[in-house]
Amino acid sequence: MADATIQTSGLTRSYGDICALKPIDLQVPQGEWLSVMGHSGSGKSTLMNLVGGLDRPSSGSLRVGGEDLLALSEDGLARFRREYVGIIFQQHHLVPYLSAVENVMMAQYFHSVPDEAEARSALERVGLGHRLKNRPGELSGGEQQRVCIARAIINSPKLLLGDEPTGNLDHKSTVMVMELLKELRAEDRFTVVMVTHNQEVAAWGDRTIYLDDGVLVREERTGG
Amino acid sequence: MVAVKLIPHLLSWAAILLLLLRGFPGRRPTVAAANISGFALGAAATLLLFGSFPGEFTFGIIRGAVGGSFLLLWGASVAAIYRGALRESRSWWGSRFLNAPLAAAGGALAAGMIAGGICASRLSGADGNSVAFLLLALAGAALAGCALAADKWLPKSFTVSPAGLMSAVVALLLFSASYMIRLDIFAPLTMKVMKFTHDFVHQFFESMLIPDHLFILPYLWDYIGLLFGKEVGFWGGLVIWFTPALLVILAIRFERLPSVAHIRQGAERRKLLAAAIRARRFLLLVPLIALVIFAVAVYRSRFPSVEYWDPKPVPVTASAAGEIFIPKSGEIDIEDGKLHKYLYKQGGKEARFFVLMTPEGELTVDLDACAICKPDGYGQAEGTVLCYYCNTLIPLETVGKPGGCNPVPIPFEAKEDGVHVDALTLINTWSSTIQSTSRVKEEGK
Repeated sequence: MADATIQTSGLTRSYGDICALKPIDLQVPQGEWLSVMGHSGSGKSTLMNLVGGLDRPSSGSLRVGGEDLLALSEDGLARFRREYVGIIFQQHHLVPYLSAVENVMMAQYFHSVPDEAEARSALERVGLGHRLKNRPGELSGGEQQRVCIARAIINSPKLLLGDEPTGNLDHKSTVMVMELLKELRAEDRFTVVMVTHNQEVAAWGDRTIYLDDGVLVREERTGG
Repeated sequence: MVAVKLIPHLLSWAAILLLLLRGFPGRRPTVAAANISGFALGAAATLLLFGSFPGEFTFGIIRGAVGGSFLLLWGASVAAIYRGALRESRSWWGSRFLNAPLAAAGGALAAGMIAGGICASRLSGADGNSVAFLLLALAGAALAGCALAADKWLPKSFTVSPAGLMSAVVALLLFSASYMIRLDIFAPLTMKVMKFTHDFVHQFFESMLIPDHLFILPYLWDYIGLLFGKEVGFWGGLVIWFTPALLVILAIRFERLPSVAHIRQGAERRKLLAAAIRARRFLLLVPLIALVIFAVAVYRSRFPSVEYWDPKPVPVTASAAGEIFIPKSGEIDIEDGKLHKYLYKQGGKEARFFVLMTPEGELTVDLDACAICKPDGYGQAEGTVLCYYCNTLIPLETVGKPGGCNPVPIPFEAKEDGVHVDALTLINTWSSTIQSTSRVKEEGK
């Protein structure tokens, strides 16, 4: 698959004697929305961290967007994360004393240079044009997650990773966030890898893979 | 000892070579060849000149070349800031000229020649022998190799703008020259500024532009007195000295960033801007270092490590016929080419003078004072005598000739046994000289 965003072959990750991820062969085409499901400790987050360049594999090969992540130096990995990946966490990890727009601008700062107009526009895109100056503590969980989405997409990533992004949200907010992600993906055409426990959330993806004890046991088409 | 003396000069030249390689990344072989051959050519030419014209002539040529490079830097810095102020995005003729292969090679050759000339000047005189020249050639070759290796090792992002390159190269040349009191140009610069200011104020005073009023004058003179002080030369010199490098820094700092408005994607647009800002920061590095080198050169000029020969004046008396006799031989050998100071007292008056054998082999007797400065006296070093008041260097060849800051010559008679000076003439010349210089002192308070 020449245009695959993610290509892994025999990818493993061990922490001492514990093998968190057993050899996995995976290919994710550009623009696909892949949901990753499994029990706690099944290796979902480990896989996501490897794909996002947050961690290094123990063995195997891993290419993301044509980059061989195993060959990259620490600086190269940092550049890769900065320019290629956007991440949304379950815990929002927003800076509490900065406003929504400043939180988004911080991502711009670490990428290149801040641009307030662009940050405002990103927040408007996620429906928070009226909450620009509010701090995270003044926003609901769903709104905070939308700030996180704006922060994740501000640098035009090719790959968006979500680690249980709706884990803390109620059903209504979950649907709102997922619809937003779907719209953004349609516009920006980035690839999505989303780790979730929630079958309903997984169903928003094009394909779902199931991990169990670090082994890819099953995959199915979900149709988006 | 010779090797130690050459270290700052050779290091300066190696740094110049490295900067040139960075400044002309597309023309490395040409620039390296031009600079290295320029260094060899400059050193050889200087040695030949010293052989044919010993003394001030050769020093004057090298000092002129160093001063000329400083003037060129002034021009380049003004052009850089002018271009920055215009905020023109189109290509500037100066940058096109600097990128021309002939200009790059010519600049590298000239910088190498001046650096080589300074190095060879250091070897002129007592230190100049075949071992020293061999040492210069070997050390030069080794350092050129180091500069070429460092160029390959340094990151590609370390680039130099044309104006930044020029400021650093000139700073290094001035730094190298500051190690020799006869090549240093900061001290003469301060002297020129001081004299210009004094003349300027004097002209104002003469043409009655300074109001001569009972109520205004005392207050006004407090400020005019500052202009007559010695420090005005130093501070004025500092302004002239540092301005070009500061202008280059300002020109780079305020250079317009590239237009990115046509790029649709925000992240890509910001990435380009960030890269341009990062490149600009790198470009600032070299002129900032140049500023530090300029400061070190000032320090070297102000506090040279040269030890001046300044013997304590020997008291002498006059005979009944009113004649002071200085024997040629005895405790002091007055024909050894060194300054020998004497003090003559008569009644309540005293006069300081010295006897010196010039490089031409002629004896000269002069006051330890000049006709224009306070009588702080002279010291001797590196083929010159230096006026302690205004830091003017007087080549030994010209000592005994009147004018400017030269020691005031005294009529004397050289006989086989020694030198005979008329005491009354000495005292009168000293008194009239001191009287005229103290008038200037009083005017300046």
